[in-house]
Order: sequence, then structure tokens, then C-alpha cells
Amino acid sequence: MAAECNTAVAQIDLTKVKPYGDTLNDGMTEVAFTLPVPYGDEANEAAKILAKKMGLDEPNVVYSKAMTKEYTFFVVYGKCQHTVDYTTIKVAKVDVDVMDRLECAEYIKENIKRPVVIVGASTGTDAHTVGIDAIMNMKGFHGHFGLERYEGIEAYNYGSQVPNEDLIAHAKELKADAILVSQTVTQKDIHIQNLTNMVELLEAEGMRDKVILVCGGPRISHELAQELGYDAGFGQHKYAEDVASFVLTEIVKRNMI
Amino acid sequence: MCLLQKLSENYKRISIVGMAKNAGKTTALNYLIEEAMDEGLTLGVTSTGRDGEGTDIVTGTDKPRIFLDTDTIVSVPKQLYALADAGLEILRMTEYGTALGQLMLCRVADAGYVQVAGPVINAQHIQMCEEMLALGADLVLIDGAIDRKSIAAPDISDAIILSTGAVLSRKLNKVVEETAHTVELYSLPILEEGMERRIIEEHADSDRVFTVRDGEAVQLNITTGLGSGKLLDNAIDDKVTHVFVPGAFTQSVVADIDRRKLKTTTFVLRDPTKIFIDKATWGKMRKYGLRVEVLENITVAAITVNPTSPAGYSFDHGEMADAMQKAVPNIPVIDVMMG
Repeated sequence: MAAECNTAVAQIDLTKVKPYGDTLNDGMTEVAFTLPVPYGDEANEAAKILAKKMGLDEPNVVYSKAMTKEYTFFVVYGKCQHTVDYTTIKVAKVDVDVMDRLECAEYIKENIKRPVVIVGASTGTDAHTVGIDAIMNMKGFHGHFGLERYEGIEAYNYGSQVPNEDLIAHAKELKADAILVSQTVTQKDIHIQNLTNMVELLEAEGMRDKVILVCGGPRISHELAQELGYDAGFGQHKYAEDVASFVLTEIVKRNMI
Repeated sequence: MCLLQKLSENYKRISIVGMAKNAGKTTALNYLIEEAMDEGLTLGVTSTGRDGEGTDIVTGTDKPRIFLDTDTIVSVPKQLYALADAGLEILRMTEYGTALGQLMLCRVADAGYVQVAGPVINAQHIQMCEEMLALGADLVLIDGAIDRKSIAAPDISDAIILSTGAVLSRKLNKVVEETAHTVELYSLPILEEGMERRIIEEHADSDRVFTVRDGEAVQLNITTGLGSGKLLDNAIDDKVTHVFVPGAFTQSVVADIDRRKLKTTTFVLRDPTKIFIDKATWGKMRKYGLRVEVLENITVAAITVNPTSPAGYSFDHGEMADAMQKAVPNIPVIDVMMG
């Protein structure tokens, strides 16, 4: 006979989610930060007070170390007092079934029946190619091969600091199906201006409805893409297959075959 | 003054175009929506981006929400439908896809707040505005996004409302100058009726750069004007009177053209939204003799000013509106934060 469990068990309430440490809903949280104060008892106290203001009850400075004479690093544990209503959260997502590299090749063969041309660059003042390389370069990123290795896709990666005008001229010349714009590190929201400038130039050139326009980067979300005038936006943890699946599906959907 | 009534008598599609992000576009939209409620006009409301969400996705600051009256026709994408507080009757699914899902055309059955989004492609905007008018809207208002101005093009909007604000600069005179410059661009001279205009209109649909030489159109062997300054320079000789550029008119189009040639040639564009040259460069090129004419112009029906910047500074209400009015005496200036 199975033993009956009489212990009261905390229930998961998705409308009031809080961190899990040793037991459900204990709120246990670890934070790490540096304060511009010299190491010592006063420093630890300062860290505790700050943690309390962050909403962490019973803060406990479990580690502190002098970084230099004037700076101290802390690790603080505490019980988070805040909760989140998980049931009301809505995140805009790229609405597409992700295919892997080989499935993409198959999809092109079956549905598009011609090479798909994709151009990409890190545009404007941005000198960082890590984003566009992760998506386009043959070796890819994190075990996900880039578009250059995809059968049926002709991928052109123009590197970094490419003026929007140049990328558009390339796209026009190659009759590109899709343009990928990467923005990795930017300041004072200059990436926003640069991204809208791209859309406006494409509209002026009469090309906007003839290409699939995709932006990507750590500060880009799919939600932002709508505001900017892009067809999709890809943030962190997205790879070549996510971008390719979207572009290919969209080509068929928009009848650009 | 009732701005909207005057607008609705003359125009069917009005865009609210911002000089920058946070210039007060949505506040201007709300101002017009309120007027429409007073007047009993049925509006169609759409956006080139997304509007009516509580918090700005870029700056994290508060954004004005959008309250729509019963019977308003509005475009809402699938993923925002559930977030509306108003009662929405879905009239039809459209073929326009957005990052936030397929767009639906809805009628407001029960007044309330709505998050609005529209097509990201201008060509689709034109079609959708037609649909909204056919569904019974007296007037369609298109809320712009960020600093995107292409929606001002005359094939999309019959007239625009230009929203400017303190967010442009901490210096009032700079805000006024930049805004007045945009108004100036939007009222460039229109190419006169006559042989040249006839020739240009005849060939404009080819979407190629061409010159009018000795009264004949000569096509250039380039796919776009972008970066083609040198080729253009070669193509312009004594007999060329006009150059038609169908696409974007940027510095790379004109930078390499000999100044003497600039003086003898007129550049013709479809409309002023094709110009992507900043104020300083534009002024300099004009001094060198650059002449630009357009086939169609943009009607700026009103200018709205927002004296407050989200960066935490503001101008005096009256002072800003007065300075703006002085710079553009023929266009009504409205301080939307005052009303």
C-alpha cells in the first residue's frame, strides 16, 4: 500500500511566481554588484541596505572582496518579495515553424525551385560583425551552421560599417530576396535611427515590398521590428535556421517565387 | 478651432508624421480622435508601427494610450487583439502580415483603449486605407512611427500633420529650424506643365534614372541612383536640362556632379519624401546651384508642437508655438499638450 503524504505542500500559483531556492516560493535570490566604497564593515552594511531596497528580505552578504582601494565587490543572498503574474505575459514571437538546414534545402527545392539570394551586413557606424557572422558565415555559431552552408541559398555578407545605401545598391543589383541588417553595439539609440533610415531608403527606392527585411542584434526584439517597419526581428539565442525558416516561409507566403 | 472638420472636408487620408521619436505623434492623434468624437465623424485609425501600448519599447518611458469611440474602424494584429480593452468586432482578416501577426480590420463595438498596428509596407497601407474608407470611415488617420517620413508621400496621404517637439534639440531655435526645413522640402517647386513634364511622366514608370536631353529621354544604364554620382556627372552635358531620379535622392547621388553642371540642370523627383540629405548639406548644395523640382508635393495641414522632451527638459508652451508659427506663417501650429 502506498504511503499517504500528509505534509502540506506549497502550490505553484502562476499568477504569483517568485524565485525558488531551497523550497518553493522562498524567493531566494542571489545578486552580485560592485560599490564605489572601500572594503569593510560599512561596505557590507551598504550592500545589505541596497539589497533591501531592491526588495530582498533578510539580505545576507555571503561574499565581499576589495576590488581596488576604493571599490568592493559583493555577493548577496536575500528573499525576493516581488511576484510576477506569469499568466498575463505576452511576448511577440516570429510565428514560423523552424526548419533545420537540410529541411530548408528541401523546402527550397520543393516550393521555391530557384536559388534564394540573401544579403546582409552590420550597417551604419556599427563595427561589430559577430551578429551577422553568426547568422551568415559558413562556420556559424554555437554549433549552428550559417547561411553560407545552406544548399539553395546564396548568402552575401558585406561585413561591418556598411552604409545603408551601399547595402541597398548590392541588394538591387543581386535582386536579393531578403536583406539582413545587424546592429550589435550602438550608443544613444543610434541603431534605431539607422534602422529606420534603411526602411525609408527602401521605400524611396520602391523596393520595400519586393524584399523581406529582417533586423537582428542583442537589443532587437520581434516587437521592435514592427515599430521600425521590418518584417521580423531576431534577438539573442536565434540562429541561422530561425532566420532562414522565416525568410523562406515568407517568400512562399508573399508569393515571391 | 476645430482642425479636424476642416481636414475632413478636403482630405480622406491623413498621416501624422514625426520629426523624431517622442515628438508627440500619438498625442496629436488623440487630439484628433477627441475632435472626431465631438464632431460625430467616423474615423479609420491605423499606424505604420505600433501605438497605444503603455510603455515605450525603446526608452521605457510612458506612452499615451489610444481611446477609440464606438464605430471607429481600426487595424489590429492578431497578437494585440487580446490586449484591447475596447470591444472589437472583427470585420475581416486582411492579407497583410506584420511582425505581430496577421492584421485584422475591426469595428469598435464598445468604446475603450486599443493597441493599434498597421502594415509595415507603404504599398499595403495604400490598399488598406481604401478598405477602411469602403467600410464606412469618413477619414483615415495614419499614425507614423519613430522618424519614418515616407508615409507622407502623396500616393499614401492626401495631407500630413507634422509633429515636432523638444526631443529634437535642447535649443529651441534648432527645433524650429529643423522643422521649418522639413516644411520647406515638402513645398518644393512643382515641375511646370509642358514638354519636359510630359516626357518625364511618360518615362517615370520605368523606375530608371534618365536625363532629358534635347527634348528626349535618355536612359542611363544603372539600376539605382544610389552611389551613381560619377555616372550621372558623365551623362550630363550642355544639352541635358533635367535629370529624373525615381528613387532615393541622397548625397551619393549628387556629390560627384560638377558644380557647373549642377547650375544648368534641374533634378526632378516624384515627391519630397525621396530626399535624404541633411539640412546643412542641402543648404550647401543649394548654394552650389542644386535645383530640385518634384512631380507632386506634400500638403502639411498642421504642425503640432510638444514642448516636453522625455530626456527631462522642456520649453515654455507659448514660446515654442509662437516661434514655430513665426517660422511657418501659413500653416496652423497647435500645442497638443495645452489642449
